[in-house]
Amino acid sequence: MRLTCPFCGSRGVEEFTYRGDATVRRPAGDAGAAAWVDYVYLRDNPAGPHQELWYHGAGCRSWLVVTRDTRTHLISDVRAARAVAQAEREEGAV
Amino acid sequence: MVESLFAQPPVSAAPVRAGDTVLVLAPMGEAVSLGAFAGAGRAALVVRVRETFGVDLPEQPRAVPSADGQVVFVWCGPTQWLALAAGDAVEGGLMARLRAACGDLCALTSQSDSRTTLRLFGPQAREVAGRLVPVDLHDAVFGPGHVALTLAGHIPVILRQVARNPVTYEFLVFRSFAESLFHDLHVAMNGALS
Repeated sequence: MRLTCPFCGSRGVEEFTYRGDATVRRPAGDAGAAAWVDYVYLRDNPAGPHQELWYHGAGCRSWLVVTRDTRTHLISDVRAARAVAQAEREEGAV
Repeated sequence: MVESLFAQPPVSAAPVRAGDTVLVLAPMGEAVSLGAFAGAGRAALVVRVRETFGVDLPEQPRAVPSADGQVVFVWCGPTQWLALAAGDAVEGGLMARLRAACGDLCALTSQSDSRTTLRLFGPQAREVAGRLVPVDLHDAVFGPGHVALTLAGHIPVILRQVARNPVTYEFLVFRSFAESLFHDLHVAMNGALS
């Protein structure tokens, strides 16, 4: 499997580390126990496109949000996690 | 000259040669990493370096020399660069010059004793490097000034091409891995040429 780092270009998967589900969001501090259990422990296991975090540790050390089809390993999108977070923040501010 | 913290050189071996291709430990220079502070730090740093050194910090994996040729800025990540200078190139030292120029905009850390430079050059340098490095080094896509942060075998390196004739690469490697990488490159030289 290869990932196209937005900074370094196409690289082998051995340069990256899988760092988990990129879709979970930290709940508010006063959210109930159920919301926190969901955030800390419970993960979906979708058959199909999935957004996940990868870390380019042997390259530019960037965190990436990769959209991967869990059935075929087809990578449909790779974006810098920083850019994804920024876009979300701007969306929230509007 | 730059004073090393260490009494021993990072690689004990003398330069090795296979055919006309040569692997040698480069003389120690000064290396300083620049990590732009969050927020507006990155944009301000680019402007400041342009004003002081007459060059735009690379936005892509490239290495660019300053206008006076004394300092090379190597792309090292989206908000990081590595400044390199020959041992006695910068009067007063590279760190002092950078601190005066842009110390308020980025984290400056001396890497002189952290990184070691191995230089590989000669007619078969590309074939030798290609044995260890999993990136495309073809002349059409990787030429002088190009940089790759990757693995050479299992060793993290900053690879840059410095010349085309003869093809010359520099491997910036952590000091404690330098001996091992030197060995691996030596084996690759013998393999690539046999």
